Amino acid sequence: MNPFVFHTPTRVYFGEDSASSCGDFLRELGGKKVLMVADAFLEKSGALKPLIESIRESTGSAPILFTDVPSDSDIDCVNNATAIARTHQCDAFVAVGGGSVIDTAKVINICLSFGGEVMDYQGLNIIERKLYPLIAVPTTAGTGAEVSFVAMVKDHGEGKKLMFGSRFLAPDVAILDPLMIVSLPAKLTAATGIDAITHDIECYVASGTYSVFTDAICLESLRLLFEFLPQATVDGGNIEARGATLVASCMAGVAFTNSGVGITHALAHAVGAKYATHHGMTNAVFLPHGMRFNLDTVYPRYARIAQFLGFADEENNGDELALANLLVNKVEALLEKLQLPLTLRELGVPEFSDENLAELTDLAAADPAIMFNPREASSDDLTQLLKRAY
Amino acid sequence: MAVFTDTDELHRVMNDLWTAIKNEKEMAAQLLSSRLIVTFHYREPDGRLTVDCSDGKEMVITVGDCNKKPVVEMFMKSSVAHEFWLGKVNVPLALIQGKIVSKGPVNKALALLPAIKPAYGLYPSVIEKNGLKVSIT
Repeated sequence: MNPFVFHTPTRVYFGEDSASSCGDFLRELGGKKVLMVADAFLEKSGALKPLIESIRESTGSAPILFTDVPSDSDIDCVNNATAIARTHQCDAFVAVGGGSVIDTAKVINICLSFGGEVMDYQGLNIIERKLYPLIAVPTTAGTGAEVSFVAMVKDHGEGKKLMFGSRFLAPDVAILDPLMIVSLPAKLTAATGIDAITHDIECYVASGTYSVFTDAICLESLRLLFEFLPQATVDGGNIEARGATLVASCMAGVAFTNSGVGITHALAHAVGAKYATHHGMTNAVFLPHGMRFNLDTVYPRYARIAQFLGFADEENNGDELALANLLVNKVEALLEKLQLPLTLRELGVPEFSDENLAELTDLAAADPAIMFNPREASSDDLTQLLKRAY
Repeated sequence: MAVFTDTDELHRVMNDLWTAIKNEKEMAAQLLSSRLIVTFHYREPDGRLTVDCSDGKEMVITVGDCNKKPVVEMFMKSSVAHEFWLGKVNVPLALIQGKIVSKGPVNKALALLPAIKPAYGLYPSVIEKNGLKVSIT
């Protein structure tokens, strides 16, 4: 067995209406004045009311609400929210939303806990001690931000993403409440679900960093997603399916934050950074290409996934290469079933000029995710994959 | 047993290695094109080395204190640096384990990893030249 490290500091609480227990956790964690970072539409829809009430009951005062978070959060947003949190002397955070909202709350928490500027903390493993309490309530089932050790926000001035990574960034509590995601539109349900599937598949074959812990988590997460993601997409009100995808996404988050992702994410980050495409949908486009690129290197691992998911039959049982190929075909079939874009063109990406292609190749080559890919990718490999995905 | 007996020995070895890298045209060209200033902070024994590629023409290596503001800073034990240059460190795992700390835009530094891989071949002779009694296999 290879050396590995596995760590998951976040307490996960799952259940229907569990979000309204938010205040109980705050009481335990010790927060007195809460900054609630949330998606604006949740405030308008009234979805935040039970959480706000619960926080008011446990702390004696309503949380300060910050909802001005763009879909691709940035430094300005973090600085604005940090200033508000300082003014109100906040000492705890509740993040309610998708990955961007939760990541924003993590970075605000760094600035408030340690002082100074956002840029002081960019990097990996710089933060070496505990931050203020943070509770995350995800309203999408895909990013895994509610349990991950990383946060990314954009520096629009420089046109780049800033990465913050430390095990102390992981939220203290993740509340998985299926009622919080029932209104997620079908397309976003599908796209965020594919993000989670990509986390699982890339983590399962990550270069020398996966472990028996992440293996077990990825496999069960994939089983849940293959079974329930189509149902959650077609019937958003199906609480069982919503709950299963929410849990599976969280599991994928636990796994990938311990083992990393790979080439699909590196390419998706590059295209997303340049053309502001949706992360889950961009992953959906690249996933089959990334898997085929890695197939020769990791086909026994893909075969194990296919076997676990019950794809093996008399014809291919025991033939690892056939099973690995079957897995890629099953992923493609799922993407079609979910009616997700299958090419970058369908995603609205304009035709590549040579210059753009070179820029995207460089971005993908410099993305930290590429380090974890099991097969080394040259610039030429990345360029070919970008062309193929178009 | 520590790889380096003291800071002087650590500085001597790392300076020799980076000078050898500087003299390898292809490797140096790729590093210079990054225009980065990277400072490596070592501990056990303590040490520091800064590689300045900012002008894109000449790689400037400074051992010890340096008044240039680095774009990226890397922190690690000296023994981790030694293992790294022997090609024995799984960098992703070391980052996950917290054995390597990176401050600044880590992607810029990580993008240079493929470019400096040929330096693994230079390191054993640097070790030998400095008379270090450590295993290099």
